[in-house]
Amino acid sequence: MTSLVTAGARSRAFMTPYAFLLPALVVTAAVILFPVLQTAWMSLHDFVLFRPRDVPFIGLGNFERMWNDEVFWISLGHSFLWIALVVGFQFLLGLGAALLLNQSFWWRGLARSLVVVPWALPSVIIGLMWTWMYDFNVGVINDGLIRLGLISEPVAWLARPDTAFYAVIVALIWQGFPFFAVVVLAGLQTIPAELYEAAEIDGASRFQKLVYVTLPSISEVIATALLLRTIWVANSLDVILVMTGGGPGYATHTLPLYAFLKAYSGMEFGYGAALALVLTALLLVVVFVYVRRVAREIGR
Amino acid sequence: MTKENTTHRKGLGRRRFLQLAGAGALAAPFAGSFPAPAIAQEVTVRWWYHFDNPQHSPAELVAKFEKENPGIKIVAESIPWGGGNDYYTRLFAALVAGNAPDCAMVKLNNQARLVEMGALEPLDDMLKGWEARSDIAEDIWQLNRASDGKQYYLPLQYVVLYLYYRQDLFDQAGIAPPRSFDDFLKAAKALTKDGVYGFGMRGGAGGHDHWGPFVLGGGATFEKGGMVSEKALAANRWFVELGTKEKVFPPSAPTDGFRQIIDGFKAGRTAMTIHHVGSSNEMVEALGDKVSAVPVPRAPDGRGWTSFGDESNAIFSASPNKEAAFRWISFLSTAENNVAFNGFTGQLTVTTSGMADWKLHPKRFVTASEQSLAIAGVLPDSPKTADFVRTVWPTNMQRALLGQISPDEMMHAFEKHFHG
Repeated sequence: MTSLVTAGARSRAFMTPYAFLLPALVVTAAVILFPVLQTAWMSLHDFVLFRPRDVPFIGLGNFERMWNDEVFWISLGHSFLWIALVVGFQFLLGLGAALLLNQSFWWRGLARSLVVVPWALPSVIIGLMWTWMYDFNVGVINDGLIRLGLISEPVAWLARPDTAFYAVIVALIWQGFPFFAVVVLAGLQTIPAELYEAAEIDGASRFQKLVYVTLPSISEVIATALLLRTIWVANSLDVILVMTGGGPGYATHTLPLYAFLKAYSGMEFGYGAALALVLTALLLVVVFVYVRRVAREIGR
Repeated sequence: MTKENTTHRKGLGRRRFLQLAGAGALAAPFAGSFPAPAIAQEVTVRWWYHFDNPQHSPAELVAKFEKENPGIKIVAESIPWGGGNDYYTRLFAALVAGNAPDCAMVKLNNQARLVEMGALEPLDDMLKGWEARSDIAEDIWQLNRASDGKQYYLPLQYVVLYLYYRQDLFDQAGIAPPRSFDDFLKAAKALTKDGVYGFGMRGGAGGHDHWGPFVLGGGATFEKGGMVSEKALAANRWFVELGTKEKVFPPSAPTDGFRQIIDGFKAGRTAMTIHHVGSSNEMVEALGDKVSAVPVPRAPDGRGWTSFGDESNAIFSASPNKEAAFRWISFLSTAENNVAFNGFTGQLTVTTSGMADWKLHPKRFVTASEQSLAIAGVLPDSPKTADFVRTVWPTNMQRALLGQISPDEMMHAFEKHFHG
């Protein structure tokens, strides 16, 4: 009798944490796991939305098609360049802004709030705003460059294959750098002042202080922010969609945009799902590194 | 002690709740039985619409209809248009999920897809008993008929694309508005100077409306082989070269959309462009008498083609309230209601009686629209048309304009899209 009670209590104690976790697990399964499995299942079919009664199973047919699809390779190449340039420049700009905002000047409070504005704006607004700034006929960028004498006639920034991609990248860098600025700024404030004092006594220059004190102290923060941002940027398509819709030609196609266009314009959900799955697989590598870092930090 | 009290109180609470719930459950059938007859008769019709100007609302029309048709309640849901993509993505998703409205505003370029899904209800039987049917011109019925011969769409409004031109610039140059392709090229070349471009071409989504008059008008068709015939290839080469060789398009043409072509024309950066009566009031506000319109130019053999911009209402086959839905959509296509509706959208009424006394647009633009009806056409009734309009046409047109592919390769891509 006694042993029975103890066994019951022990199993209850064992189950309790899982019972508490259950609601979260059920929700996660319903809104993440199930759609992922459904996407994987869909990618094995020739599922076209306006033919809901005729969905043949085609195995790896969609992936085979992708292998031979020129646009897939163009989009994939663009995606890598997109992530490298956007995340890289957002980081550099964010680091610079954070270092400036960490100085003391009388309107620092105002500057710190203003720098968050691009981050707080909805992506669609940012897309439209930059589209009009780049506009060939009435855009402020062409107007400014002509007045400064840097160009003699307006440039169709978003209509030229050699400029469109970089023009969109500039808009996205502008949108995302405040994230780095805020995260790095928070990191900077955790650095003990004694470290700088010690460096000063050793006769370190400003640059040496940055390289030997500041950056090592916030390297953890930077690494986490870079990983997180890579995942977001790799997935983002809203600004491109608004600014160029992927054009001119395929000049601004990235993988998520191509998957989106295939699914929602072509209504080829099967092929769109296959494209999205490849993107997910590539991103899982980054996610894996990120989750391991976070787990390690929690473990400490 | 405290713990016991709490438990006790809680227990009481639960018991009390159960008592109340039980009483409620017992009372429910009685509560329901009294107002039931009125509710049972009341039918709710869900209708999806989109207006370009979000400040416009069909509330007055809904109120008028509900007053005339007691027992039918209209739930008008404004759905974001997003160049058509947003609207149709929502519509198709709702249809597949079984949560579609009873009826909705629809365009011809998605009719074939909807028919293939079995989503549309044929209206032929209901139309037989509709007295205002003859107030809509036969050619409009004809254009809206599906390829299986059935009438799924009840016409609501229309526009026809024509050529806007700058009267003052043409007068200064001493040339008349173009009637033929040759006239058009001459005029575009003469007017391309001093930062002004002859033709504000739309290379972004929706730009097939600018390509159609010259290439479909010039002999290309959507039949098998129709895009790659000698005549079709030559017409397309001529059109692409307007941009690449003659340079009468602004450099931004490859990605210019609706807003850019209209604003470029209003700002005096282009001398001609193609659009419909929906933008005429805005044009006149900016340019006054300096802007006028004629039908799009015709091919050397006298053929022509221009886009018929349609909008209809359709009823979905899954709707349990088809009769009531038909009453609502036919109400919207009846004379003065249809005129009021077009007041919100800025397009033209489909009713002959409504057209007789038209005040919403300056006369010269309505005349250009009416004169264009003779050559107005629609893209093929095929499930592939929507994707052609949204991605295949813009992508290939842009690549051809930028010299990434040849004009002929562009036409082969179209042929492949429709016929494999």
